[in-house]
Amino acid sequence: MAKVLIAETSYLVRKGLVGLLEQTDGITELKAAGHPDTIMLTLKEFSPDILLLNSAITLPVSHEKLVSKLPDRARIIYIINTPLPEDSPSHQISVFDSKSKLSEKISFHLQKYRDETPEKEDTEELTPREKLILKHVALGLTNKEIAAKLFISTHTVISHRKNITRKLDIKTVSGLTVYAILNGIIRMEDIG
Amino acid sequence: MHISPTMKMSDLVQSNFELLAVLQRLKIPFGFKDKSVQTVCREEGIDLDFFLNLSRWYDERDFFPGETLMNHPVKWLVKYLRSTHSCYIEYHIPRIENEIVRMESMDQSGGKNMQLMLKFFREYITEFTTHIELEEEKIFPYILDLEENLNKEHPDPDFLKKARGYTIKDFLDEHSDIEEKLVDLRNILLKYLAPPSDNCVFTNILIEIFRLGNDLNDHTILEENVLIPQVVKLEEQFHKKFPQG
Ligand SMILES: [Fe+2]
Ligand SMILES: [Fe+2]
Repeated sequence: MAKVLIAETSYLVRKGLVGLLEQTDGITELKAAGHPDTIMLTLKEFSPDILLLNSAITLPVSHEKLVSKLPDRARIIYIINTPLPEDSPSHQISVFDSKSKLSEKISFHLQKYRDETPEKEDTEELTPREKLILKHVALGLTNKEIAAKLFISTHTVISHRKNITRKLDIKTVSGLTVYAILNGIIRMEDIG
Repeated sequence: MHISPTMKMSDLVQSNFELLAVLQRLKIPFGFKDKSVQTVCREEGIDLDFFLNLSRWYDERDFFPGETLMNHPVKWLVKYLRSTHSCYIEYHIPRIENEIVRMESMDQSGGKNMQLMLKFFREYITEFTTHIELEEEKIFPYILDLEENLNKEHPDPDFLKKARGYTIKDFLDEHSDIEEKLVDLRNILLKYLAPPSDNCVFTNILIEIFRLGNDLNDHTILEENVLIPQVVKLEEQFHKKFPQG
């Protein structure tokens, strides 16, 4: 399931795409923005899996920077303000395209995105390693201290922590501590 | 809906009651009778355009607030943000805290889960209060002084000295994320904590946390994307008007 952001200046086109995508399967969340500042703001907070971007919009960042701000498997579809030839590439849609053409191209990317995303299990369990890292985080150790304790690099600790946060949807240390207590990974008495 | 100066204030609220928050934070009293938006604003001494732009943003969410909201005296926005702060501190936060306390007292499971939630939330309150105190006691006064001194023939010497060594950009760098912890609490309640019993209290805590989270999000947008860019512009004007040396 993908999060989609429509970045389009034209009010009419934006609303039209919102209407179309609301009827499309495979989208969990949909946002739309018109002003470059709003687009950048939404990119940062929303991190969309699929970005529909009008090619005429000048964003305050380079293409590489833009890509780096998106999640790893994110896809960009460009909205073009002129008609496109019949055999246009799938990552370009035109404001002149018919409904079926638009649906076809967008669904293609949604499908591709799904195919490339590893099947998420219903309950994403932490691995034993991650549980161990979580335990130390909850006890208040820094990344460096954890690295020294477990004989691994700080980099590895950070990457484990990212996975823990992604799986649990919990970002802060105190949030992780609460989770650890709730799940018996540490005891309430262990923390001050 | 198109929000126009001549529409009745009561119609405005009826078509989108979320706008009540805007009225409350601008301290517009109820009892409008059939008065129009512009009449109410005039009577309450509120800049009509500021009110319209703010309400339109809350209602439509289809434009970037900076485009329109930056063109008003900064003191309006500061006033608005200040009453939002008191709303959080005096109402929303204590309310959620009380509900969690109530939940804890109802918890028959013998476990300590709700106690843990309460501890977590109280930690959050401390963090939240520090965040707001910094803005109320240091940042906002600086902004108001800046705007006032910019309009003077000769700036106040004390302020001039301060302005030479400070920029609001420093604040932006250290402006902490006050939503993160709240989002964590929300996710824990939603995903990992079996409610002690199925009742309205638990659901209501969640609803209130969702509401507060959304509201804080808007608040941060106003601070980081309207207020601070506007103050950066004021600082530029100030240094141009009163060059060093
Ligand atoms: Fe604030
Ligand atoms: Fe703030």
